[in-house]
Amino acid sequence: MKKILLLSVVLFAACMTAFGQAKKPIIMVIPSDGWFERNGYVMEYDNMGTKVTVPDYETAFKQNSEIRTMISAMADFMAKEDFPIQSLEQELNRIKNENAEMALMMGKNAGGSIAETPIERLRRSAKADIILNLDYTVKRLGPNKQVEFNLQAIDAYSSKIISGNTGTSSVVSTSTPSTSVLEESCLSFKDNFLAGLQNYFDDLFTNGREISVTLMRYDTCPIDFEEEFSINGGNYELADIIEAWFADNAKEGRFSLDARSANRLRFNQVRIPLYAKNPLSGKETAIDASGFVRELVSLLKNEPYNLTVGRSPKGLGEVWITIGDK
Amino acid sequence: MKKLLVFFMCCTIGISACFAQKNDRKASYESWENYEITTVKVGVEGTKFVKVWGFGKSVDKAIMSAKRNAVHACIFRGLPGNTSANSTPAILNESAYAANAAYFDAFFAPGGPYLAYVNMTTDGVPSGQDRRQVKGGYKVALYIQVMFDNLKNKLESDGLKKKLSDGF
Repeated sequence: MKKILLLSVVLFAACMTAFGQAKKPIIMVIPSDGWFERNGYVMEYDNMGTKVTVPDYETAFKQNSEIRTMISAMADFMAKEDFPIQSLEQELNRIKNENAEMALMMGKNAGGSIAETPIERLRRSAKADIILNLDYTVKRLGPNKQVEFNLQAIDAYSSKIISGNTGTSSVVSTSTPSTSVLEESCLSFKDNFLAGLQNYFDDLFTNGREISVTLMRYDTCPIDFEEEFSINGGNYELADIIEAWFADNAKEGRFSLDARSANRLRFNQVRIPLYAKNPLSGKETAIDASGFVRELVSLLKNEPYNLTVGRSPKGLGEVWITIGDK
Repeated sequence: MKKLLVFFMCCTIGISACFAQKNDRKASYESWENYEITTVKVGVEGTKFVKVWGFGKSVDKAIMSAKRNAVHACIFRGLPGNTSANSTPAILNESAYAANAAYFDAFFAPGGPYLAYVNMTTDGVPSGQDRRQVKGGYKVALYIQVMFDNLKNKLESDGLKKKLSDGF
């Protein structure tokens, strides 16, 4: 009897733990494009006559000790908050190694290679849910120097700035190592930055996660979003029906329809609950954008629409739905 | 007789006004809302380096008041920034004191746990511009290192503040 009671308590605790944890966002520090330009870590290429520059992450992380100091200092205080940040440098290395291994892998029996479409390859890049966009400049002031810094925490899906911090360090002699001034700058904005992040998470738990959903049509699809269907005695366009679904399912009906045309619908600022019942297991589980639209996809697949529908998650807060093909 | 009555009334009003002014000043000095604090520079990891004023009947009491004010500011008021240090938001909001009055009354009691989060950065009694004799006592300024991260961790472990990772 005691054992059964103990087992029940353990199972109950496990269920509560599973239910109580929302999906943790991935946070990554990415230096700003301006920082790469100013420090010469860019790659140039010719795009049909136009000179285009892109950040050279690999060289920057290999050669610049200052940026490594800043990222380490930030990683340190975030780890102390039980919120470790993902290293962009390591993530790029991991992808590089993954590419090499995937190219060499061969099936043991039939000798097949790993299948991957070009779009899958493109999506296998470093991704974060919250981007910490870091910029700083070391300014010379006669025999002294000072660091000007700017740190923005950006929601990767809505492009909203969650927390913004700007400031200057104290003025120090040019003989002082730049790394110590950079560490000082980091400590200066730390608490303000963490408070901004806390406000964002408080809002997420109170009002739900904010996501974006884009619906697109393959040209092979026999209907578009302006096709009319008869529902409850009235004729409605498919776009209206989808919009009504969002009104019913978004948390407190909060969303906005950003773009609407025959071939494309984009919903943003969609607030979704953090947990929902999983149709397969029947349990309450933490959901993200892809989990939220599962029912919409199912609706479009069934009568009277009978569409072929594809669902491509692009992180915790964004999903693409395609009609006409997967 | 009339003149005597008027004179007596004037004296009464004058004396009561004096007492009221004195009480106002006392309340003002002792109020949580009335203390001055500035950030001196960015502290070392996990700390805040501030200059804070305290008021007391003796210099010793004023020093204790300044220490208490420094911790109070970190928890409820936040620290103002300066040209080389960003401002620091308060750990809790102002209503948290009223909501947890028993906890904070014990926390800020004379010799209470708040002292564990204060390091004085100067030895001895403040002097010169940092020590002013005012009516009813002394007003002194101290340079203090507050163990900010330890204080925040304490409030988190006591359940008064949510951790950043709570809920994930």
